[in-house]
Amino acid sequence: MNNILEINHLTMRFGGLLAIDDVSFSVEENTITSLIGPNGAGKTTVFNCITGFYKPTVGEILLKTNKNFNLERMNDFTIPQKAKVARTFQNIRLFPQMTVLENLIVAQHNKLMDASMYTLKGLVNAKSFVNAENEAKELAKYWLDKINLIDRADIEAGNLPYGQQRKVEICRSMCTEPKLLCLDEPAAGLNANESLELNELLKFIKKEHKISILLIEHDMSVVMGISDKVVVLDYGKKIAEGDPNTVKSNPEVIKAYLGEE
Amino acid sequence: MEYFLQQLINSLTLGSIYGLIAIGYTMVYGIIGMINFAHGDVFMIGSFVSLIAMVLLGVGTGIFLPFALLVVLIAAILITSVYGWTLERVAYRPLRGSFRLAALITALGASIFLQNFVQVTQGAKIKPIQPVIQGGFTFFENGALVVSLSYLQIFIIIITIVLLSIFSYLISKTPLGRSQRACEQDLTMARLLGINVDRTISTTFIIGAALASVAGMMFVLYYGVIDFFIGFLTGIKAFTAAVLGGIGSIPGAVIGGLLIGLIETFWSAYFTIEYKDVAVFGILVIVLIFRPYGILGKPEVEKV
Amino acid sequence: MQDKKNISIILKDLLFTGLIATILLIPIVGLRTEISTADSTGLIFDYNFLIAFIVIAFVIGVRFLFHIYWFSKIKKTQKEKSEKDKKLFLKKLNLYLGIIAGFVAFTLPFMPFANRYVVDVATLVLTYVMLGWGLNIVVGLAGLLDLGYVAFFAVGAYSYALLSTSFDLSFWICLPLAGILSAFAGILLGFPVLRLRGDYLAIVTLGFGEIIRLILLNWYEFTNGPDGISRIPRPSFFGFPFERKSDVTTFHELFGLEYSTMHRIIFLYYLILILALLTNFFTIKIRNLPVGRAWEALREDETACRAIGINPTNTKLTAFAIGAMFGGFAGSFFATRQGFVSPESFTFIESAIILAIVVLGGMGSQIGVVVASIVLIGSTELFRELEQFRMLAFGLAMIVIMIMKPRGLLSNREPSILMHTKKNE
Repeated sequence: MNNILEINHLTMRFGGLLAIDDVSFSVEENTITSLIGPNGAGKTTVFNCITGFYKPTVGEILLKTNKNFNLERMNDFTIPQKAKVARTFQNIRLFPQMTVLENLIVAQHNKLMDASMYTLKGLVNAKSFVNAENEAKELAKYWLDKINLIDRADIEAGNLPYGQQRKVEICRSMCTEPKLLCLDEPAAGLNANESLELNELLKFIKKEHKISILLIEHDMSVVMGISDKVVVLDYGKKIAEGDPNTVKSNPEVIKAYLGEE
Repeated sequence: MEYFLQQLINSLTLGSIYGLIAIGYTMVYGIIGMINFAHGDVFMIGSFVSLIAMVLLGVGTGIFLPFALLVVLIAAILITSVYGWTLERVAYRPLRGSFRLAALITALGASIFLQNFVQVTQGAKIKPIQPVIQGGFTFFENGALVVSLSYLQIFIIIITIVLLSIFSYLISKTPLGRSQRACEQDLTMARLLGINVDRTISTTFIIGAALASVAGMMFVLYYGVIDFFIGFLTGIKAFTAAVLGGIGSIPGAVIGGLLIGLIETFWSAYFTIEYKDVAVFGILVIVLIFRPYGILGKPEVEKV
Repeated sequence: MQDKKNISIILKDLLFTGLIATILLIPIVGLRTEISTADSTGLIFDYNFLIAFIVIAFVIGVRFLFHIYWFSKIKKTQKEKSEKDKKLFLKKLNLYLGIIAGFVAFTLPFMPFANRYVVDVATLVLTYVMLGWGLNIVVGLAGLLDLGYVAFFAVGAYSYALLSTSFDLSFWICLPLAGILSAFAGILLGFPVLRLRGDYLAIVTLGFGEIIRLILLNWYEFTNGPDGISRIPRPSFFGFPFERKSDVTTFHELFGLEYSTMHRIIFLYYLILILALLTNFFTIKIRNLPVGRAWEALREDETACRAIGINPTNTKLTAFAIGAMFGGFAGSFFATRQGFVSPESFTFIESAIILAIVVLGGMGSQIGVVVASIVLIGSTELFRELEQFRMLAFGLAMIVIMIMKPRGLLSNREPSILMHTKKNE
C-alpha cells in the first residue's frame, strides 16, 4: 500500500515550548488514519504544520500524489490549491452569513476563477463560465444530497444546528476536490446518532471517492469504528502507531490515557 | 551642540505630553481591544477645561501661582474624567461584543461630536493665553545660541514622572490594577471569577482621560494657544507613540511618546518643518507594516 | 409598592443623569471664552448658563423618555416580528425604495421645482453616492476597514486636473486614465498593509490618506500646493462644447436651443448618475462571480478562506484596487465639475463621511447608501445656516444609529446564488 502522506522527524518549537518532538508517521493511500492523544499532546499542532498554518521548526512533510509536495515549505492557501489537502477546524469555521450553497460554491473558487479567466469571462456571461458554474452547483448539490441537507441549501449557514454545520464543513472541504482530507475533531459535540452518521459519511468518502482521511478525535466510537490505523501522541511524542486493536491494548497508550467511551 | 541639546530638552517636554495621552490609547486597547478614536478629543476637552479654569481663576494675574495651578489641575482631571466615563458609558458599552466596524463608527462619531461640541460652544477661533510660567535656567550662552531649560519644562517633566509613578504603583500593586490585567487577558474568565468588569473598564477610561487632561493642561501652558481641532493631530501622534512602543504595553506608551517627541522635534529642527507631520504619519505606517506589535510587544501567533 | 420602588429608581437615575450633565456642560457650554476686545490677547467669558441649563434639562428629558420606552416594553407583550418577517420586510423596503429612487433620479432635472440649486445639490449627493458605492466594495463586500478612501478620490481628481491641463486631453480619455492611476495607487497602498487586521488597517489607511493630503499640500512644484489647480476644462457633449459661442458647433446650436447654463448643469447631473449606476451595476454583477464571493467569504472568516485555497492578499488587493478605481472616476468627475481642485477638499473628515454613509445606510444595502447620502448631504444644504450644528448632529447620528442598529438602517443581504429559485420549485 502506498503512503500518501509521510511525516518525517517533525519538530515544532514555540519559543521555549517544545510542542512536537521528533514525530514521524505515515498515512496510507485510501485509508482512514486517526491521530489521538490526551489534550495538549500536540495533535492540532501537527495538523497546523501539515496544512501550512505553522512552519515546522524541523522536519519534512511529504505529500505523494501525482507529484511530490513538501508541505512544510508551502503556505496555508497554496496547500489546498496545489497539493489538494483540505482541512476542517475544531471550532467550526463556516461563513455564517452566507447560505449553505454559497459556502460550497465559494470552496470551488479556484476552479471557477480559472473558468472565468479571472472574472473577465464572467463579466460577459460567457457560455463556458456559465457551464462551469452549473457544474459547481451540481457538485454542491451532490454533497448536500449525501448529507440530506438539500432543502436547507438556501439557509444561512450560521443558522443551522451544530451537527448540521459540522457536516456542511466537511462537504465544503470535499468541494475543493482534495486527495487528503484532514478533519480536526469532526465528532466533537455530536450525539451518538450523529456520530454514527459521521462514520458512514467518512467511510463513504473513503470507499467511493478513494480519498485518504487523517482525523484528530477523542470520540473512541469513531476512532475504533472506522480507522485503519491509529497514531497516538503524548506530550508531543509519538507513543504508538498501528491498527486500532493493537494500539488499544498498548500499555503505553493505556498509561497515557484511557480512552473514554 | 547647543542647538542639539536644546532640541533634546524640547523633545522631552513634547514627549511627555504624547506619552500621557498614549497611555490612554494603550490601556483601552489592552482591555477591550478597540482603538478609542475619541481619546485625542478627550485630551482636547482637558485642554479647554484647563484654559477655562485658568481664566476663571485669573491665573497669571495676582493669584498665588502654585495654588492656582493645583486647582486647575484638579478641576481638569475631575471634569475630563467625567467626560471619559460618559464616553464609554454612552457610546462604547452598548456596542461591546458587537462587530469591529460598528465600534469604529461610533468612536468616529464620538470624535466628530466632541470636536463640534467644543466648536459650537466655544467658537471656532483659536484661544490664546498669556504665558503663565515664565523664566528658567540658561546654560551655555554662546552668542546667539542658548540652551535653556524653562521652569515650565521642568514642571511638565516632573508632573509626568510623578503621575507615572503613582500610576505604575496603581497598576502593579493594587486590586484595581490586578483586575485590569485580568480583564486584559480574558474578559469572560475575569467576569466569571467575580471581577466587576464594567467597573474595571470604566476605571480604565477614567484613568486614561485623567492622564490626557494633564497633558491638555501642559499643552495649554506650553503652547499658549489651543483650538477645537488639536485633538485630531495630537491624538494621532499619541496613537502612533502607543503603537511604536507596543500597543497594550504601558511602558511602551511612555517610551513611544518620548520617541515620537524626539522624532518630531529633530525632524523640524534639522529637516523641514512643513513635512513634520508626514514624518510622524510615516512612522505610523512603517511600524504597522513591519512591526505592528511595536518595540515592547510580542508577535501574536494566531491560534487556528 | 412595586411602582413606588420603580419611581424612586427612576428619580435617582434622572438625578444622576442631571449631575453628570451638569459637570459636563457647565464648564464648556456655560463659560464660553472669547478674545477680549479691550485687551487683545486676553480671554474673557461670555456667560451662557441659561443655554447650559436648557441643554441639561433636555438631556434629563431624553433620559426620561428612555425610561418610558423601557417601561412600555416590559408592560406590553409585543408580538415580536419573527426574524423571517423582518427580513422579508427589509427586502421589500430595499426594492421599493430602489424603484422610487431610480424613477426620481432619472426625471429630476425635468421636474418643475428643479432649478439650478436643486440640480447642483442632487449632483453633489450623487457624487457621494458613487463614493459610497465605491467604498462599499472595499468595506461592505470585502470587509476591509478603510479610513483613507478620500486619498483615491484625490488621486483621481488631481490626475484628471494635471492630465487635462498639461496635455489637453478630453474628458473621455482622462477619465479612464485617472481611474487606472487610482487603481494603481490602490495597489501600491494596499500591498504592504492588507495583511493587517481590523483596527490596524483602519489606522494605516487613515495615515495614508493624510500623507497624500499633506503631500498635495506641500509639493508646490507638482501640485501647486494650497493654491490648487484651476482652469480645468469643462466637459463637452461629445465634442460639442457648452458655450455660448465657440469655434466649433456648440451644444445649444446643435439642438437648436437657446443658450442656457442649465444645459451643462443637467449634463453633469446625468454624467454622475451614469457613473454612479455603473458602480452599482458592477457591484451587483461581481457578487455573483467567484471574486465577489471570495470577497464576502474573506469578510466572514479569513482563516477558513485560506483553508479552502483562496489567496487572501490577492483577493483583498483586487477589492482595494477596484474600489480605488471607482473613487478615481468620482474624483475625475469632481475635478471637471468644479473646474478647480485643492487639497482642502480631501480631508480626513471626507473619508469619515463616506464611511458613515456606507455603514449607516446598512451593510449590504445598495439603496441604503443612497438614503444615507440624501439624508446626510441633503440636510447640509437645507440647514446651511446651521452648518456647525450639522456636523454635531452628524456625529451624534453616527453614535445613535450604531447603538440602535449596528448593522445599519437598511441592511439586507441577498444570497448571490440559490439552489431553489422560484422557477424550479
